[in-house]
Amino acid sequence: MADPSLGELLARCALNDQQAFAALYRACAPKLFAVAVRITRRRDWAEDVLQESFVNIWHHAGGYDAAKSAPMTWMTTIVRNRALDWLRRPRETADDDYDSRVAALADDRPGPEEAFIRSTDAGKLARCLQELTEDQRRSITLAFFYGLSHGELASQVDRPLGTVKTWIRRGLERLKQCMEQTETK
Amino acid sequence: MRARDPRLQQHLAREYVLGTLSGRVRRRVQTLLRTEPGLRDAVTEWEQRLTPLAGALPEMAPPARVWEAVQLRLGHRVPAAGWWNSVALWRGSAAVSALAALVLAIVLLAPAPVPPTMMVVVMEDLQSQAPAMTVAWEPGPQAPRRLRVRVIGHAEMAPDTAWELWMLPGNDQPPVSLGLITTHEEQTVMVPASLALKLDAAWGLAMSVEPSGGSPSGAPTGPVLYAGQCVKA
Repeated sequence: MADPSLGELLARCALNDQQAFAALYRACAPKLFAVAVRITRRRDWAEDVLQESFVNIWHHAGGYDAAKSAPMTWMTTIVRNRALDWLRRPRETADDDYDSRVAALADDRPGPEEAFIRSTDAGKLARCLQELTEDQRRSITLAFFYGLSHGELASQVDRPLGTVKTWIRRGLERLKQCMEQTETK
Repeated sequence: MRARDPRLQQHLAREYVLGTLSGRVRRRVQTLLRTEPGLRDAVTEWEQRLTPLAGALPEMAPPARVWEAVQLRLGHRVPAAGWWNSVALWRGSAAVSALAALVLAIVLLAPAPVPPTMMVVVMEDLQSQAPAMTVAWEPGPQAPRRLRVRVIGHAEMAPDTAWELWMLPGNDQPPVSLGLITTHEEQTVMVPASLALKLDAAWGLAMSVEPSGGSPSGAPTGPVLYAGQCVKA
């Protein structure tokens, strides 16, 4: 028999199966760590985020609903939320790391979204991303992968805040419409 | 109520999932999510739509200490091998032995006719794997335990957080809080008589970062920074 599916491993975690949890970690941690590193831009922060996330996954495995989302989507959401909460945590002083975070973005070429859109098995999300204007697609993917806020995004692409907000709003509306059309076809 | 406006919910949900909201608005949405099922559904839908994008990232292997810290946090099977091997307590690493001897020397500054048995823990920083804190106490029938805690170097505690010391009983038992500690170089932690014997037999100790006032749940909630195994000296 093939390896147990991620859904099966999650179900076993809910029954307190520590071996299943270890197998789940082995299977998913490298993907999830990549998500955390990309958003936090710091490996030590990403390690804390991953640690927190897996503690969370263990505690909430019983609440995972296979009918609502795929296992990887569920776990990625936990990691992204932890990472974003960490980036947006209340702080008394200005974020010294912000400039270096954003400066580092310039080195990432080509962006991961290019690879995603080119990959053939990426399905309707990739197809629908291609239908957006370049500005819309770039601002959405920058925000998604790097955890940039509206304000950070505006300074990254050097455009007014309102313009960037409009790109994102219209882009996401278009994306939703496109993906729903694909569903009903 | 404005928060029930479907258009506003759609807007908040997609920006929340994409991650573009400021911290203040993000936390406001998280509060609304507890009470607004419509917003919750919209967020779930956007998660389904956008999260597969993450599959585009090349995998990155996290260091082994992340998994070890997860297991410590959950009180799972205490690792039989792994990070504590690197502490080299059992391999007689000169540096660590010298450190343990030093701890003992400090502890025994008041000379006793017969040096009693001591329990010594050299806790290492799980990030740098350098010794970060030592804890020593005298085991035995007398109670309570007076733990002598020594913080090595100049550690800093983030504002509005606390350091909590945990006993790791081993044998799949969850961590037990020993109370909060400070960054002071030398300090004493009193452990009540009810935990004394369990402490003498504990597998190790760990320190986690918690909200000020300590873990609200009675289990470690923040990242584990330091951990180490108990040895009899």
